[in-house]
Amino acid sequence: MLKIFKRLWQVNWAEQWQYRANLLMYLLYWLVSPIIYLAVWTSIAASKGDVNGLTANDFVTYYMTLLIVDQITSNITLHIFAYKVQDGSLSSELIRPIHPMLTNTLVNNIAFKALSIMGLIPIWIVLFFLFQPNFSSVTWQGIALAIPAMMLGFIIAFLISASVTSVAFWTTRVYSISEFYFALFLLFSGQFVPLTLMPPIIQSIARYLPFQFSLYYPIQLILGKLSPGQIIEGYIVALIWLPISYFLFNWVWREGVKRYSAVGA
Amino acid sequence: MSTESIFVEQLSKTYKVPEREGGFGAAVRSFFKRKYKDVNAVQKVSFRIEPGEIVGFLGPNGAGKTTTLKMLSGLLHPTGGKANVLGFTPWELKPDYLRSMTLVMGQRNRLSWDIPAADSFLLNQAIYRLPDNEYKKTYKELDELLELEPLMKKPVRNLSLGERMKCEIAAGLLHRPKVLFLDEPTIGLDITGQARIREFLREYNRRTGATILLTSHYMADVTALCERIIIIHHGNLKYDGGINDLSRRIAPFKLIGIRLSEADSHDLSGYGSEVQNEEDAEKRYIRVRADEVTRVTSRLLADLPIHDITIADPPIEDVIERAFNE
Repeated sequence: MLKIFKRLWQVNWAEQWQYRANLLMYLLYWLVSPIIYLAVWTSIAASKGDVNGLTANDFVTYYMTLLIVDQITSNITLHIFAYKVQDGSLSSELIRPIHPMLTNTLVNNIAFKALSIMGLIPIWIVLFFLFQPNFSSVTWQGIALAIPAMMLGFIIAFLISASVTSVAFWTTRVYSISEFYFALFLLFSGQFVPLTLMPPIIQSIARYLPFQFSLYYPIQLILGKLSPGQIIEGYIVALIWLPISYFLFNWVWREGVKRYSAVGA
Repeated sequence: MSTESIFVEQLSKTYKVPEREGGFGAAVRSFFKRKYKDVNAVQKVSFRIEPGEIVGFLGPNGAGKTTTLKMLSGLLHPTGGKANVLGFTPWELKPDYLRSMTLVMGQRNRLSWDIPAADSFLLNQAIYRLPDNEYKKTYKELDELLELEPLMKKPVRNLSLGERMKCEIAAGLLHRPKVLFLDEPTIGLDITGQARIREFLREYNRRTGATILLTSHYMADVTALCERIIIIHHGNLKYDGGINDLSRRIAPFKLIGIRLSEADSHDLSGYGSEVQNEEDAEKRYIRVRADEVTRVTSRLLADLPIHDITIADPPIEDVIERAFNE
């Protein structure tokens, strides 16, 4: 199995490099919204002194951490998989004795991630000098706690995205359902604003949803903003969502493949 | 346990196809209430294939050939019926099944376009868990038969059609499958390329005893490789038997083609039924029963100012076409 992943990695990595210009554009597009939120909230907080207790530096550190965490936990499954169902190119992967989603698509995501993180580094450094954030609250313990949380966040988000993408087996076009998914993500993940600024009702829902593990929870772990009780609760909720998202994906996949129509030659 | 390689019983596939008329009104109506039409791509087809057989799977476009191959390779779930290949139900997609069969369809399949074929081959080695020595041995054999080595280092997108097809077929056979489903394995190739693939398939079958089910539009593929053919039309099985029996049973005819040195006004109806051939407008063709060919030919030569004459088997498409119509 390790050898399969190694070879898949070599192939996917080589393929990613073929499209590095495209990837760079994608990365820039991806960074636009967090940088806008960063600029807007920082200037609001700077003019008023704070927003609900969050200072300008709190916003800068939050969004600059978000840029990194987002690259680690996010996935592009919808973009690299849905079309294969639509145009039938999934056929050649389905008849290989390995799972198309849990091997090739997973590795494809990781190769994309590796390259996009390399692209992010210079941009991040420029932002660092521009906004001069104070990261004094970050500790090694915080980072050590955040690493497994980010891995959980990535796996859960990947499995849920894979489930949403697999709806392509039924509807062929999946972009509307995925837009709905991204709207939920924007609301509950902490991408739009730190969840503490959300109305209490949203916050209490977000606590039990999987979206926070992509951004808010690991960001706050890194920044050292969570109490021990919050840290434990977060890990428990994540470990509950892990099997749920796995079973969800397995079910959607199994039912979906039955409907695959293998169009094209 | 059955002894045959491929066992198909009453296999059926019905596609639900959304249908609507053109125009804005119809588009709006279909938004609220979709109409579906059932298309019976394959209807209760049954056959058995023994290990080591090479069988030609024929029929006009849309007959259900590819749909059947897709079900047998596990890509499609059937609407009804049973299939068993090497003891497996194909659409369960069991890894052990996928490791022992291959499906080669069209030009774009197992090879990634952006990287050299060598890399895709190594990936397949890992996916099919082939030990190094076994992989090298198979690769050497494939290279011997298909002359792959010069193609392996170039990105696949830079290969010609024929080169790519050779690599595709080789990639599909690295794991030495026991059952091969080949959909148009020689499509788009020139005559030499076709002949080489045919030779290769025959040799592979001889060496490994693999079972091969193939579709092709090139009759030469079928006559060179297959002793047995299965014909389907409109999703129904029409013929299953020896290839020689087919022409004898269905079309004991030959085509005589003549070019006359004078203006083409002669009435040929006394010799046999004249058939149109759009590809070759300079010649006129007469369909004649096989046992009358000699007699009709000598009459033609005696009666008419003939410049050129050919006698040929009717194209298999015609034979098959007649098989459907009769």
